[in-house]
Amino acid sequence: MRTAVRELRVGDTPGNVSRVVRPRPAAHANAGTTAIGAPNRASEIAVWALALCLLLFLAIPVGALVIRALGTGVAWDARTYETLRQALGLSMATTAMTMVIVIALGTPLAYLLARRRFPGAAAIEALVDLPIVLPPAVAGIALLVAFGRNGLVGQWLAEGGVTVGFTTIAVVMAQIFVSAPFYVIAARGGFARVDRDVEAAASDLGATPGQVFRTVTLPLIAPSLIAGAVLAWARALGEFGATIMFAGIFPGVTQTMPLAIYGRFGAGDLSTALLLSVVLLIASLVVLLGVRITGGRVRGGS
Amino acid sequence: MTPQQVTRGDGSIRWRLIIRSLILVFLVVVQPVDLLDVSAQGANWECPAPAAVDATPVGMPVTANEDQAAFPTEGGNLTVFAAASLTDAFEAIEKELEAATPNLSITYNFGGSQALVTQLEEGAQADVFASANITQMDAAIAAGLVASAPLPFTHNRLAIVTPAGNPSDIQSTADLGEEGILLVLAQPEVPAGRYARESVCLMATDTATYGAGFVERVAANVVSEEEDVRDVLAKVALGEADAGIVYVSDAVAAGDQVHVVDIPDKVNVIATYPVAILAGGDEALGTAFVTHLLSDEGQALLERYGFQRAE
Repeated sequence: MRTAVRELRVGDTPGNVSRVVRPRPAAHANAGTTAIGAPNRASEIAVWALALCLLLFLAIPVGALVIRALGTGVAWDARTYETLRQALGLSMATTAMTMVIVIALGTPLAYLLARRRFPGAAAIEALVDLPIVLPPAVAGIALLVAFGRNGLVGQWLAEGGVTVGFTTIAVVMAQIFVSAPFYVIAARGGFARVDRDVEAAASDLGATPGQVFRTVTLPLIAPSLIAGAVLAWARALGEFGATIMFAGIFPGVTQTMPLAIYGRFGAGDLSTALLLSVVLLIASLVVLLGVRITGGRVRGGS
Repeated sequence: MTPQQVTRGDGSIRWRLIIRSLILVFLVVVQPVDLLDVSAQGANWECPAPAAVDATPVGMPVTANEDQAAFPTEGGNLTVFAAASLTDAFEAIEKELEAATPNLSITYNFGGSQALVTQLEEGAQADVFASANITQMDAAIAAGLVASAPLPFTHNRLAIVTPAGNPSDIQSTADLGEEGILLVLAQPEVPAGRYARESVCLMATDTATYGAGFVERVAANVVSEEEDVRDVLAKVALGEADAGIVYVSDAVAAGDQVHVVDIPDKVNVIATYPVAILAGGDEALGTAFVTHLLSDEGQALLERYGFQRAE
């Protein structure tokens, strides 16, 4: 990341900032063409065949889910509706809370990691990355021994009469723990890629640091922040292992969509589990597509 | 500079629109005000009519003799789907059997009985199914998964567990209804969860001891409905919950990690565990395993793990 910053700074002028901000859509546009390198027919077929294998592997389970859900049909009774409403509502509410906190606290952290040099920066970066590679079960146990009633911090909280376990707050905590790194990493990359000379120029023209951030830095890093926020949101929405261990399962309080799906499946109620899965699938698809479309416009807007 | 400002302007207007419409959709569809309603916690459960609470054994208990228990000398691979509460006892049985029969390899899949039935329905291959209640065995039979008549091979009682040292000072079953107790149960579809609710329903009929509205008070204390009985045990052993209702066998397995509060016979629910050989499985290996469970040796081992002998 640091070397990348230096590479960009060499020979950078305010004029080519837009190019720096838009490398991805440019690469994307080339993906479907054979103009570069003009590969021969055989290798082209091989590339398509290999790509198709993975694509099918990804598409078949999703398709099967939808087909099975349509085929099974749903006993659309009050209980199914209540389960769906509570779980979807809780998932949306908790992931929204998670995103507000992750963005509010993650942006400053990403800024510091990208812009300041301080001892232990590498260790802090590793610490931030760690939850990404940790299995959810480890995250669950870690949260329990930290914030559980007998945990490192939790026992102090318990003495003060605060119990986090089995509350919606525990769900949000689990989501923040597993999703924040995705946002911080993307935002850090965004901050590191911004041309410092542009900010300096704005500053020279009399902009306050706040104005520089709002009118120069923020628009430049917006694509990175949005991409990071979407990844983090997706991870928070799918969060399961840490939640089930740390927060427990209770409808309307801690039972988010993934937990409800697992719960209905475990209860032998496959048709409701399928319905919830498909709803989650559609909700995720809508958000991802929406971000793809609008994100593309934001980046290509100039 | 100008192009960037244009970009920002375009983007933020669109984003504001999208975010506003998302919030609108969220408010209309979900009505999140309900989420803040704490009284939503502790959903009630319906008690069955007292007569409906029983555990009728299926089939006739078989008194097996040792000759039948013999596994084929060439051994083989035996797959057993078993209720989560059987974990420790069955693992001990595996050790004994594998030591006694060379080339015999037993693989277990432990889980909530209802989840095991779903897995079998979805095509999981196994030789033997040991369920924690008759309902789930009946579901397996109805799905055409079972090849033999199910036999009850053991019984299990319920007990209350609290974290070691009993920090919330739970002395008797009546304390489950005390305000502010963090109680964890298995979800209603899990046999242990169903039995626990039946037991609380039995307690509630004795208003002289338990007071009025006992079921409602206990239901209000439930903070988590776990996927299987071992998850209930884990939450209590960790000290996260004040109390949980599990099988005596689970309490035995947890040892001094938990404190046990007895549930009197009058309000206890005795679980009956049926076992059956599955269609498409290895019948010889399956029969040998079931016969071993019913043998004196098998029954004695189950008893050591907190289960009761099949009557």
